Amino acid sequence: MIPLSHYLLLSTALFCIGVYGVLSHRNAVGILISVELMANAVNINLVSFSRYQGSYLGQVFAVFVIALTVAEVIVGLALVILLYRSRKDVLVDAASDLKH
Amino acid sequence: MELASLGNPVDSALVALLVPLGAALCIAILSPLRRRGKLAGWLSVLAALVALAASSLLLFRWQGGLGPELFELRWLPRAGGTLARVGVRVDGISVVMLTVVTLVATCVQVFSLGYMSGEPGPALGRYFAYHSLFIFSMSLLVLAPNLLVFLIGWELVGLTSYLLIGFYYQKPSAARAAVKAFWTTKFADMGLFAAVVLLFAWTGDFSWEVPLSPQQASLITLLLFLAVMGKSAQFPLHVWLPDAMEGPTPVSALLHAATMVAAGVYLIVRTGPLFSQAPDTLTLMAYLGSFTALFAAVIAVVQTDIKRVLAYSTCSQLGYMVAGLGAGSVMSGFFHLTTHAAFKALLFLAAGSVIHAVGSNELGDMGGLARRMRLTTTVFVIGALALAGVPLFAGFFSKDFILETVFNQKLWLPLGALLLSGFLTAFYMGRVIALAFFGTPSSKAEHAHESGPTMALPLIALAFLSVAVGWLGPRMAEMIQADYAFHLTPVGAAATLLALGGLFFAWLVYARRAVPSSVLAWFAPIGEVARSGALDRLYGFAFRRVVLGVAALAGWFDRYIVDGLMNFIAWLAIVTGQRLRRIQTGNVLDYVYAVVAGAALLIAWGMVR
Repeated sequence: MIPLSHYLLLSTALFCIGVYGVLSHRNAVGILISVELMANAVNINLVSFSRYQGSYLGQVFAVFVIALTVAEVIVGLALVILLYRSRKDVLVDAASDLKH
Repeated sequence: MELASLGNPVDSALVALLVPLGAALCIAILSPLRRRGKLAGWLSVLAALVALAASSLLLFRWQGGLGPELFELRWLPRAGGTLARVGVRVDGISVVMLTVVTLVATCVQVFSLGYMSGEPGPALGRYFAYHSLFIFSMSLLVLAPNLLVFLIGWELVGLTSYLLIGFYYQKPSAARAAVKAFWTTKFADMGLFAAVVLLFAWTGDFSWEVPLSPQQASLITLLLFLAVMGKSAQFPLHVWLPDAMEGPTPVSALLHAATMVAAGVYLIVRTGPLFSQAPDTLTLMAYLGSFTALFAAVIAVVQTDIKRVLAYSTCSQLGYMVAGLGAGSVMSGFFHLTTHAAFKALLFLAAGSVIHAVGSNELGDMGGLARRMRLTTTVFVIGALALAGVPLFAGFFSKDFILETVFNQKLWLPLGALLLSGFLTAFYMGRVIALAFFGTPSSKAEHAHESGPTMALPLIALAFLSVAVGWLGPRMAEMIQADYAFHLTPVGAAATLLALGGLFFAWLVYARRAVPSSVLAWFAPIGEVARSGALDRLYGFAFRRVVLGVAALAGWFDRYIVDGLMNFIAWLAIVTGQRLRRIQTGNVLDYVYAVVAGAALLIAWGMVR
């Protein structure tokens, strides 16, 4: 059986890639995808812990997270579309109008 | 109905105190009443009459030997009781003074109905509102159970005095006189205030019936005497009183002759237990009072304005009272206060009647009025004889008692000054009578005629009192529980001779013109000095240089140091805010960086712990 640490390393790597993606992208769609990566890193964590503990609670939680991320993506994409309509681009650093 | 069934003394005192206040408030608040000046006047007179009735009731029922009747309410609560009490204290002294105040005030108000009838309605309403307020303030002061309430009444009286002097506020000289009176007396009032504060600090109470160490007693009485010097126009703070004659003549009669200026003397009488502990202050009072008496009498001789003669005469007589009190006899000063109130109010009202008829204050515009204004002439002469101290008239008895007291205390210098000022008093009153009522009438005086009944009635009443009050000495002494008996002494005889001599000289100089003008010219320098107003200039200088200098310094400190500190703090807040505002960039990525950094910090913290 593959030890738990492998799964944890994988999820940490995935999470860090996600964070890097969020920080490095100016494009709102890219940021959303990166956030999705982070969420799935968390899911891997949950599922692997659940597997090694012999309880299904973590897996149930992972299903919840999937549902939540879907909702989040829907809202995020809706925002992106509205942003595109009003500004003709989806660059988040340029969209700082509310500051003024 | 029996008198005893008319309530207890405290009720009467409260009626005398509060009814005039009610009248003042009614007139002040109800605009239609104020605009209809006559109606306001009658309301005010009615209130004064009620107050007079209540206080006369007290006077007749009060027996010597009764203890003070107190009515007190708690005021200003503090831990373990109350900080101060307000209320009334009815005893012999306050009953006598209350009667004097309400009596003179009633006479003056009735007189005012006639004298002020030419004023427009609203002004008249204002006038009577002030008058009623004055009666309330003065009664509050008179009935005060402790020095705190006394201070409140004292300041209210000062305020009404200011308002009434400045009644013709459109006239610059009246407005100036009001301000002058206000700040002169306010300067002196600091003494009373400081005395009250010190008394409270030392004894924890505002009562005047407390034993003090000699130093404490000296300091407190000196501070009180400073207040007296301002309110009772003692040298060198007398400068406001002659200028106060800018007010209407009845006001001069009520406030600046009979009652308000006597408040200072009353303060000494009232706080007698304190003053009797400070013999040095008493000596100072005897000297300063007698000097004021002489000084003011000299100036009165050269005045040409009838009201200013009477004003300086008031200064002089107040000096008599202070000297008598300084000689250690409360009765002497207080007795002279009551007789003086009657005849000086009479003199002022009679002068008002003359001014009303002639339309001028100047003695030169009068003359020969005896034939045209018989009643006014008669009462004025009665008042003048009472003031001069001619036997059988009121002033004789009280002055005699003061002189006797001063003589018994072996205060020779004050005695000499008082005797000399007695001579001068008779002389200047003789001068006024000769110039105003006899001789050839001037053009203005030719058409003068007697005043109406509202003005005649108070004159007659006060003329009667100017004779009668003098005989009430023993009764008054019984009420305030002092020793008094009339003796014929060498001093009294000398004073009588001097008074008669003064009148005779005045007759020689002004009626018979028997003294050559070359002799009179010797006395011209006195007039020069009196008219120069050296003290006024000194005070003006002190005010401009010292007071305004300190004010400018304080203003600079306030503007640049105090305000500067405040502005610096405000500036600091603004700058900090502007710096902190930059955090909120509005850029989503910046927030994400912050979130990640925060998460990293939390993780690091968790690892270290």
